[in-house]
Amino acid sequence: MVTTAELVAFAPELSVAGTAFLVLLLDTFSREKRGGVSLAVAFAGVAVAFVATVFHMSIGTDTTAFAGTLAVDPFALFFGLAVLITTALVLLSSTEYMGRVYPERSESLTEYVALILFAATGMLLMASARSLVTAFIALELAALPSYALVAFAKDDRAGVEGGMKYFMLGAVSSAFLLYGISLVYGATGTFDFAGIAASVSAGDATGLAGLGALFVLVGLGFKIAAFPFHVWAPDAYTGAPTPVSAFLSSASKIAGFVLLFRVFTVALPTSLNWLLAVQVLAVLTMTYGNFAAAVQSSVKRMLAYSSIGHAGYVLIALAVFSSGGDDAALALGAGMSHLFVYAFMNTGAFLVVALIDDYWGVGYEFEDYAGIARKVPLIGVAMAVFMFSLAGLPTGGGFLSKLAVFAGAVRSGFWWLALIGVVNSALSLYYYSRVLRWMWIEEPGDGAPALDGRPVGIYTAILVAAVVTFGLLFAFEPVLSTAEEAASALLS
Amino acid sequence: MAEQALATAALLIPVVPFVAFAVILLGGLLPKERGFGGATSTVLSTASAGVSFALSVYVLLRVQATDASFVAVRTAWVEATGAPDLHFGVLVDPLSALMAVIVSLVAFLVHVFSKYYMNDEGENGLPRYYGAMALFTGSMLAFVFSSNLLMSFIFFELVGLCSYLLIGFWYETPSAASAAKKAFLVTRFGDYFFLVGVAGVFAAFGTFAYHGDGSLFDTAASAIEGNVSVLGVGAEMAVTALALLVLGGVIGKSAQFPLHTWLPDAMEGPTPVSALIHAATMVAAGVYLVARLFEFYALSPTALLVVAYVGGFTALFAATMALVMDDIKQVLAYSTISQYGYMMLALGAGGYTAAVFHLTNHAFFKALLFLGAGSVIIATHHKQDMWELGGLRRRMPVTYWTFLAGALALAGIAPFSGFWSKDEALLAVLRNAVNEPLLWVPFGLGLVAVVVTGFYTFRMVALTFHGEPRSEEAREAEEGGFAVYTPLVALGALAVFAGFINAVPLGIHALKTFLGGETFAEYAAETVGYVGEFEPSTALSVTALALAVAGSVAAFRLYAGADEPLRHRDGATARVLEKKYYVDAFQVWLAEDVTYGLSKRLSLFDIDILDGVVNGTSRVSLGSGEAVRRIQTGVVSHYAAVIALGVVGLVALVGLVGGWF
Repeated sequence: MVTTAELVAFAPELSVAGTAFLVLLLDTFSREKRGGVSLAVAFAGVAVAFVATVFHMSIGTDTTAFAGTLAVDPFALFFGLAVLITTALVLLSSTEYMGRVYPERSESLTEYVALILFAATGMLLMASARSLVTAFIALELAALPSYALVAFAKDDRAGVEGGMKYFMLGAVSSAFLLYGISLVYGATGTFDFAGIAASVSAGDATGLAGLGALFVLVGLGFKIAAFPFHVWAPDAYTGAPTPVSAFLSSASKIAGFVLLFRVFTVALPTSLNWLLAVQVLAVLTMTYGNFAAAVQSSVKRMLAYSSIGHAGYVLIALAVFSSGGDDAALALGAGMSHLFVYAFMNTGAFLVVALIDDYWGVGYEFEDYAGIARKVPLIGVAMAVFMFSLAGLPTGGGFLSKLAVFAGAVRSGFWWLALIGVVNSALSLYYYSRVLRWMWIEEPGDGAPALDGRPVGIYTAILVAAVVTFGLLFAFEPVLSTAEEAASALLS
Repeated sequence: MAEQALATAALLIPVVPFVAFAVILLGGLLPKERGFGGATSTVLSTASAGVSFALSVYVLLRVQATDASFVAVRTAWVEATGAPDLHFGVLVDPLSALMAVIVSLVAFLVHVFSKYYMNDEGENGLPRYYGAMALFTGSMLAFVFSSNLLMSFIFFELVGLCSYLLIGFWYETPSAASAAKKAFLVTRFGDYFFLVGVAGVFAAFGTFAYHGDGSLFDTAASAIEGNVSVLGVGAEMAVTALALLVLGGVIGKSAQFPLHTWLPDAMEGPTPVSALIHAATMVAAGVYLVARLFEFYALSPTALLVVAYVGGFTALFAATMALVMDDIKQVLAYSTISQYGYMMLALGAGGYTAAVFHLTNHAFFKALLFLGAGSVIIATHHKQDMWELGGLRRRMPVTYWTFLAGALALAGIAPFSGFWSKDEALLAVLRNAVNEPLLWVPFGLGLVAVVVTGFYTFRMVALTFHGEPRSEEAREAEEGGFAVYTPLVALGALAVFAGFINAVPLGIHALKTFLGGETFAEYAAETVGYVGEFEPSTALSVTALALAVAGSVAAFRLYAGADEPLRHRDGATARVLEKKYYVDAFQVWLAEDVTYGLSKRLSLFDIDILDGVVNGTSRVSLGSGEAVRRIQTGVVSHYAAVIALGVVGLVALVGLVGGWF
């Protein structure tokens, strides 16, 4: 029986999901198709969810619901906040973007909004899952709308192709995940995270649990685009409408990480030998992401690979995990806070690309960006904040969060992982600053198109992201301590 | 009270040039018509060097009178209990007082000479020139007075930056811009090791301090004594490793083999800058650092031997290259490398006094030789090829006689200054070679270099000043005025007389007493078993003098009446020397052929592989890079295969390590 307390605890999820239904209903019964209304309603719904999340955080809600299959705890709320913020930023920039770039789809803008809200609901539930069954359902709830979103521009071949690939490979990875879940269930006889851990620790589990853990890692590795399960990401991010790329590479990745963190710290003890696998994935992912990003000629594709690289950095936080203890909480908290900062700087960077590439129609290549910052210095400054912060220079919180991740690795004795991370960071500066070189230093070419229009929504989203990214340089401490408290509450 | 005055004076010595620099810099912000140009900046910069010199003399005299050795000013970086002791301080002791006088005197004379070389020639950008000169002087003086290793490192880097700015003063000339870049990059390569060493020193001993209780030297010495394990290895091992890392920076700055390649190129800078770099600032910084850290190096016999070998080898190696250079400044450049090799050799053999003594003498005679060369270059309208000079002694008597004094000092002919210090350096090696047979090799190298030095020095003198003029410009050369005479005569007098401050064969030990050379020698005797007291050796003095004279006379006879035919040598030896032993070529090969070639090869590999799979490529992936396309083919079945292979690989890895199979 569902109690009122449970409903209150799930106010954020219910608000987002309810808004999704609401915009569909409104659209069905209105004579004119007005996407703007849908977006406004959706934005309001996300805002309510945001307030509810902040409320739960402030009163320190820590409870389980629905027969213990879902949890509302500081850990879930922290990630929920990041997902909601990304969703809000993406929604904010979508009206103008879709209206100008895909006018032929303006009739269906409500579907777009609803898909984003459904995906966001799935992501929020991923943060709350504490049973393999709810985890899988939440993941699919987040994934299915994402496939459709990538292919949203039906007439755009690249988008359809990206969406198709994403869908097919998503099915493959879901198969691995399901298979892993079934192995773990077979070995332990339960789906409950705590129950699995207890069974393994008690020695009841059979050897198959280890194999199951690896398959679960593969399934979630797909979600966070860890090498070599990242193959869908560059094509999907490049083909999708750019706000969707921002949504997928930020919110979807964050949701993947929250589930990864929870499953591997709560349910599957390190005695199952997954630590080495995570370390290998961390090294491969950050190295591959950075090297691949360095050779791209398109800014959007570069950002796609850079987001793979960042998944590698965050994996370090799990790779140094040492089952319990303060160090583990600190390392995990550092990874969480990096994701939080990443939500702003990565979303912001993608939105700048959305504005320049698509809205103004300048083009995808680095060369096309020549001299842009001189025409729109505000956007140039914002991009500088994002790029340097992503590279780990102190123009934004990215510097501190990366530092925290590497420091956590060193503290746990994995100095070599931190070293590889630092070397990768240094490499990343090359391609991040390349964008800025084109934007600020190079002369604009003769045939450069006029930058037509100043979309308020996109500008607002970019500037909010930039200001917060920069502000986190000074207000990072509360984020980090919140993340660390959430992590230690999870681990205790 | 007296100490207070001394402390203030010592603090002001580096501060005054820094202030001059700041004023010149701010002057650049003024609108053009109200801003001050070359004249004001010349006066400002020159005056600041002059004030520093006056203060340095005062400090030297006070230190001499009171035997002072203390850290005058201490400003902590971090004030907190438990925070590591990081501070800025001014260390006043005999070594820094002496070095400050050398640096500020040479800087002042170079400033005076610059008026002739730069202003009177109507160069543009004089404020930039004098601003950089003031910064250079200030940085070097601050480096000299640094009271700890971290501070030394900071100003060491600043000195490197200034030489970059000045070598590249004529930045519109591509060769000058490239030489500046080369100087910066090559010395920076050495500085990487230095920086690692600095960090390592702090990690190992928790202090950077040169002076006082719990100084770096005390801490390291007691760690070795107590046989403590430092950084996971034995203390002596750690000291050796750290000393060698720091030596990386020294080898770069003091242009020792194999990082000497930047220095001959640096001749692209204005000649007064070369004088400053070679005599008193940039290059001197490296050797000064080893002298400053002598008590650290002397804790490790291995580190000392490495220093001695680097020095001995470089001394001969560079001298041989000087034999075939045709550009007068190139000869001087290689002679600088060689002479700093002698100083390193002396330090490596425990000859602390000898090294500082030679550093002093070299500063004066090398500045003299460079300014003399500068005088020749201006008088002949930028002729630097010695084969186009000749016979200048009649038209430029002041330059000739002072240059000759410098040349005699460089060649090591008694009673000119270089003889005494080179003799003492070799003596230190000789005396210690008895206990440490490995020192015989660098000793031999150093001794042979004496002949070579005499030869190239007098080849230069003969070609430039003797014989008949070999070009129109040389026939009509006109000597400059007051701004030329003053520095040349002052330095000429020093080249003649400076050697007598420590003429050991005559029983004069003034410098040794002043520096406390006794203490350092005994220190080395205690730690690594070197000989504490060096008995003078008449045999050595006579041999060295005979070798120097032989080399000089031979060169003079060969080249004084030289004519064109002598210029065209062939034969394998000359070719190798002219190609500078191919070290330059080797470094270029390392960068261009090896590194770049390897990268290109790797990229080819990618292209080959990718060609096979690229057929099914879709639109989306066309934009991806060469290396990435192997994985990112765009074909969805390949993607699925990559995922599947990834799973297999992961399971295999974990299974193998975890022992599943």
